Amino acid sequence: MNENLFASFAAPSMMGLPIVVLIVMFPSILFPTPSRLINNRLISIQQWLIQLTSKQMLAIHNQKGRTWALMLMSLILFIGSTNLLGLLPHSFTPTTQLSMNLGMAIPLWAGTVITGFRYKTKVSLAHFLPQGTPLPLIPMLVVIETISLFIQPMALAVRLTANITAGHLLIHLIGGATLALINISATTAFITFIILILLTILEFAVALIQAYVFTLLVSLYLHDNT
Amino acid sequence: SDGAPGPGHWDADAAAGGLVDLAVPGGAFSGRRAPCLKNPVLGPGVLQAIRIFHTRQPSLAPIPCVPEYGGKVCLGLIPKEFFQFLYPKTGVRGPYVLGTGLILYSLSKEIYVITAETFSAISTIGLLIYVVKKYGASIGEFADKLSEQKIAQLEEVKQASIQQIQDAIDTEKSQQALVQKRHYLFDVQRNNIAMALELTYRERLHRVYREVKNRLDYHISVQNMMRRKEQEHMINWVEKHVVQSISAQQEKETIAKCIAGLKLLAKKAPSQPVL
Repeated sequence: MNENLFASFAAPSMMGLPIVVLIVMFPSILFPTPSRLINNRLISIQQWLIQLTSKQMLAIHNQKGRTWALMLMSLILFIGSTNLLGLLPHSFTPTTQLSMNLGMAIPLWAGTVITGFRYKTKVSLAHFLPQGTPLPLIPMLVVIETISLFIQPMALAVRLTANITAGHLLIHLIGGATLALINISATTAFITFIILILLTILEFAVALIQAYVFTLLVSLYLHDNT
Repeated sequence: SDGAPGPGHWDADAAAGGLVDLAVPGGAFSGRRAPCLKNPVLGPGVLQAIRIFHTRQPSLAPIPCVPEYGGKVCLGLIPKEFFQFLYPKTGVRGPYVLGTGLILYSLSKEIYVITAETFSAISTIGLLIYVVKKYGASIGEFADKLSEQKIAQLEEVKQASIQQIQDAIDTEKSQQALVQKRHYLFDVQRNNIAMALELTYRERLHRVYREVKNRLDYHISVQNMMRRKEQEHMINWVEKHVVQSISAQQEKETIAKCIAGLKLLAKKAPSQPVL
């Protein structure tokens, strides 16, 4: 089955055909379209959650920023559902792949920056220099702010990848430790199993939190630039 | 077939943007009625916007309705129909034995290998089952409550509208009843006016009578005064002439006669005592 620790992170392919596209598209099935006025329980709960999240997330934006509502909501739903599905046994999580996270982070970040530079050039350029810096420090601070700006997409992508990958790896390792300890000492194995359960709970939380953080940061970059 | 759409249909022509009139059966997507759909960029978006409202049946074939609740399952995965399917041949315990046998077979033949993932699977699935068993019913009730709130809101609007219309009907009925009794008011007013007219007539009549009587009284009093004046004048004239006619001789004789009479009386009187 799994030869080494990292086999579960390889892009899945069945008989040579890449099915990673199917896996990426799968979570969209889990969010049915509300077709009636009164829907079933799943759709009602999803509608309520989306309303709650969107109200809270779009409260800080002005009219221009709120045109991004669909994008941000889709983002948080996609990342959240993908992360949560990845916790199931023997499943593949697309967000563990740096390529995909970079593909999400760079265009979104670039979109916010270009929007800012296009419509409010002076204000966007002014972001490079925080208020109240003493005069001799200005050149260095501009360089530092530029670097910090260009690191943002990298940080977004790597943060998500690292967190999810690390979580999966830990679960794998501790599961392996439990397996190895069963033959040696059942009590220790049991303790390790408890640790595994706690870790799983943490991973569920991390899955949702990472989705939220990603979306929130994009929203913040948007707020700065609209 | 154009004109105002029926009460159940979405009056699209009244809305801004000139969207399609759905009341036209089957002709919703013809170019004449939906010029906006010809726009290749916005057409699909308009189509999506139209599809939200179901005014036609979803499919033309006679398919049965979607059931309200899902079918019954055992162990959360296997539908009960499977158990019914195996029951005639293997009895009640048949499916369970089948399941156990399959699991043991796959384990022993290492078709399913116990790896680290097994334990993570146990922990994850165990956690999920625990959460579902503990909070499943309450989350379901919460979802039902959300739907109920939505329905209650709309129901309230409907009831308020019905109440408003009912109040309007009652007001109209009472107004109509009042109109029926309006003739009382008119009768009273008519009576009032008649009385006022009568009063004015009598008052004027009385005034006329008084005026006429005044004038007649004046004439009468003038006549009386004239008569009195004539009488006095006549009496004065007669007196004057009588006094004039009494000459001095006659006066002396009359006075002497009176004195003689008095002397006679005086002679007769002293025999009477003075009281």
